[in-house]
Amino acid sequence: MIEVQGLTKRYFDREVVRSVSFFVPEGEVLGFLGPNGAGKTTTMRMICAFLPPTAGTVKVAGLDLAQDPLGVRSRIGYLPEHVALYPEMRVEEFLRFRAAIEGVPAKEVPERLAYVVERCMLGDVQRQVIGTLSKGYRQRVGLAAALIHRPPVLILDEPTVGLDPRQIVKIRELIVELGRDHTVILSTHILPEVEQVCQRVLIIDDGRIVADGTPDALRTGFSGLAAVTVELEGADGAAASEILGRIAGVEKVDVLPDGRLQLAVRDGKAVRREVFRAAVERGWEVLELSQSVPSLEDVFLRLTTREEAVAETTAEVSHA
Amino acid sequence: MRKLAAIVKRELIAYFSSPLAYVVLTAFLFVNGFVFWLIVAYLNDPRTRAMAPLRLLFGGTMYFWLLLLFVVPVITMRLLAEERRSGTLELLLTAPVTEGQVVLGKFLAAWVFYLFLWLPTLVYVGVLASYASIDWGPVAAGYLGIALLGLLFASVGVFTSALAKNQIVAAIFAFAALVVVFSVGLVENLVTNPALKNALAYMNLWDHMDDFAKGLVDTRRLVYPLSLTGLFLFLSVKALEAVKGR
Ligand SMILES: Nc1ncnc2c1ncn2[C@@H]1O[C@H](COP(=O)(O)OP(=O)(O)OP(=O)(O)O)[C@@H](O)[C@H]1O
Ligand SMILES: [Mg+2]
Repeated sequence: MIEVQGLTKRYFDREVVRSVSFFVPEGEVLGFLGPNGAGKTTTMRMICAFLPPTAGTVKVAGLDLAQDPLGVRSRIGYLPEHVALYPEMRVEEFLRFRAAIEGVPAKEVPERLAYVVERCMLGDVQRQVIGTLSKGYRQRVGLAAALIHRPPVLILDEPTVGLDPRQIVKIRELIVELGRDHTVILSTHILPEVEQVCQRVLIIDDGRIVADGTPDALRTGFSGLAAVTVELEGADGAAASEILGRIAGVEKVDVLPDGRLQLAVRDGKAVRREVFRAAVERGWEVLELSQSVPSLEDVFLRLTTREEAVAETTAEVSHA
Repeated sequence: MRKLAAIVKRELIAYFSSPLAYVVLTAFLFVNGFVFWLIVAYLNDPRTRAMAPLRLLFGGTMYFWLLLLFVVPVITMRLLAEERRSGTLELLLTAPVTEGQVVLGKFLAAWVFYLFLWLPTLVYVGVLASYASIDWGPVAAGYLGIALLGLLFASVGVFTSALAKNQIVAAIFAFAALVVVFSVGLVENLVTNPALKNALAYMNLWDHMDDFAKGLVDTRRLVYPLSLTGLFLFLSVKALEAVKGR
């Protein structure tokens, strides 16, 4: 649905997006994760045909950005980072205006209007002047505007920023629902958001993609290992660690000071099954069998800080 | 076409929901009321009977020009500068509309609002018509001249509004640019070189308006403002394309 190849943006002599390539299949919800200034907004603005790329190609729904920018725009619903709306307009007036410039046929407008108002829960503010709306409502008006022309693709730049926790939950639920019949790219700093909403994550740092995968794959794939903690009764520590160490997928066994065992494992689920079976065979009683996975937060921090360190070393090398 | 109409309509909503519109309208009524009073005074003075009274209303006094030079920048300053400052431009230019449509839509809205400001002067014309015999040809031509000047001035204002992110800066730039556009032709009176004098005469907006007020509609008087308008609109589109991401 979205195909990005070698996308680059240079401001003066600084490249803020560097040869970014990725593909988003139809129906996927993709998360852009990255620290401030990573280039998420810039990348999204280029895909939406707002900023001209310095280099690279973008295809949305089979249309080439360079050849048919208006076609690309009409297939994308975009929610910018700072949702700026015309304060003097009424909500309904604004949505009608958006429908007209998005090219929604006049006779379909009432139906689309009713749909987005219902979807974004704007019923009670339809006739209110936008300037008097709260931040949460303005965000929803922005989302309604992005949906009005039935776009196959939604691009949402930090859709939950600045909202209270209840609103955040509501908007996330809405995005998950929308993800069923739209292809979605959303950017965020909030890691749990990615885990809840996205099927796939791109971690962007300093204009480059540093990781690409499902939230699960990123967590385990990066460090490689999950940790399984086992507490057994009736087992001798050394013997138990010897036996559990032979289970396929277990890389390492540590005996913790309190006698529990900690296994570094590749596939936590299969290993836990085997651990349980081994314990039952030998008549040990399992008091604890739990798995902890590094949080996406750990992965994110490690990836983005590692990148910075690399950048620093290269800078030093080029200085020398 | 529907997209263009939507942009014009939105802009007109913005005009009539801002207090500035009413301030401008008041100033406009006030100054034109004063000019009208001058005209009546003139008419009461037997020595000036020979002059067509409406020539005063249509560019015959400095007030007319001062009003245009001040009012048009105020009308146009918000158009693109505010879209960029507030960030709404991003939403506008990620909809399937071109920069050209945006510029044209805003320009037309400013022009329509400008024409709206002139609407009350029809009352003065009506009042004069009821007291003196009025030659309707020059009146129509005079309004045509006003409409043409509106196109030219509004296009300059749109251009500076595309360049500046701050409304006040846009207005000041527009004012400066309009003073240049207006004064360039007046230099005609200061030069003696016939070729240069001719060229400057072509650009003399005061004489343009005076011709229209006399009922003379010469194609050259149409071509000059229209081609300048086209040029400034073209420059506005280029400026918008260049600055939109900043
Ligand atoms: N018009 C511009 N001129 C120069 N540099 C710019 C411009 N716009 C953005 N940048 C720079 O490009 C870099 C990437 O910015 P971008 O807004 O894409 O980051 P981001 O990932 O969206 O960050 P955030 O999470 O804070 O929103 C930043 O360092 C920013 O300073
Ligand atoms: Mg951003």
